[in-house]
Amino acid sequence: MSLDYVKFSNGFEKFMPKEYRDMVEHGPFGKKVSVSQMGSFKEVLEEHPMCAGCAMTLFIRLAMIAFPNPEDTITVGTAGCGRLAISQAAIPFVYGNYGDQNGVASGLSRGLRLRFGDKPKDVVVMAGDGGTADIGFQQVLHSWFRKERFTTIMLDNEVYGNTGGQESGMTNRGAVLKMAPLGKKFEKMDMVQMAKVAGCAYVATVVPNNPRRVESVIKKAVLIAREVGSTYIQAYTSCNIEYAIPTDKVMEDAKTVENDRYAFSEYVSDEAKQYLTERYGYKEFLSKPATPAAIPSKA
Amino acid sequence: MYLVADINVEICASKSCKLCTQYCPEANTILYSEEMGKDQGFKYGSAYVAVDRCKGCAQCVWVCDNMAKNNAIKMIMIDQLPKAALTDNVTYGEKSTTAVLASPVVG
Repeated sequence: MSLDYVKFSNGFEKFMPKEYRDMVEHGPFGKKVSVSQMGSFKEVLEEHPMCAGCAMTLFIRLAMIAFPNPEDTITVGTAGCGRLAISQAAIPFVYGNYGDQNGVASGLSRGLRLRFGDKPKDVVVMAGDGGTADIGFQQVLHSWFRKERFTTIMLDNEVYGNTGGQESGMTNRGAVLKMAPLGKKFEKMDMVQMAKVAGCAYVATVVPNNPRRVESVIKKAVLIAREVGSTYIQAYTSCNIEYAIPTDKVMEDAKTVENDRYAFSEYVSDEAKQYLTERYGYKEFLSKPATPAAIPSKA
Repeated sequence: MYLVADINVEICASKSCKLCTQYCPEANTILYSEEMGKDQGFKYGSAYVAVDRCKGCAQCVWVCDNMAKNNAIKMIMIDQLPKAALTDNVTYGEKSTTAVLASPVVG
């Protein structure tokens, strides 16, 4: 949980694999890296068994780059595809029982604050739609009601992709899947609205066909969760296997879905806006100066 | 045999949009070299593929063809590549990487 954990122990450097040496010497630890520098520094995400062309993998890759302080971050996950990649990164990963990831993250986040005080240690939950909206729903919602200060990211592939294609609460109405042959009979859950009602300080929906936007959204969510309250990001990360999307058409599908039901949206509470502006110099929330036409003329 | 992405250095080094690496689902796979391309007299460096990490999804091909409109990436059988980069032959620098290109399939 500091820059020390990514350094070599004395005398061991020559025995470490090349990937590890590259990660220590040219990884993002202790530096500011961004999407525009991708391909020129060693990323913390390593080889993993996710399917070829998986949009969830791309989102996780972008998320790891967007973390403001990867050396001071812990990710928490649960059963689902995502954990296959998240656990293969040089960032500590806690694997909760199915659905209890937000309960684990609550304790972890509080414990880190007791141990490290004001020094920011970020906790980021990344779980699938099943882990967040179905099986983990109770713990997710209660962590938001308690205003636990960590980020929850839903990797929404709209299906239980890891177990053969069962419908989830986030599957669209009418969707026919291998293990839902009659089609889903209920509407997709509106988790975004629930997050707002439960008092999240930051809520965003995003699709990974805009890497810079993904980076910006995750940075803001993690920073706000340090002091203001719970933050929630819902990301569409298609399952190209269960929805039979050819791998080279995954980004085309992302664009179609973005236009259909996953338009970019961002809710930032007033307190969070003020915090980002004053603490981190964000200019986008400053009130715009009134234009001359908007000023009522004196009669 | 299986397909991997192959980037045309001549086209890439004259455009240098870097979109393929931003959209590749695999980390540390499409890398960028400041030297590759410039050493052939082109304006920019070029992207290249660490073929041992490429899973052959061809998302980079779609991005290069449809978003960047550069048509610089093709999927090629790995034993048909004349030369390619492997992770072991990639060196990370301060702002760029360098790669020794070698025949990827031996024996």
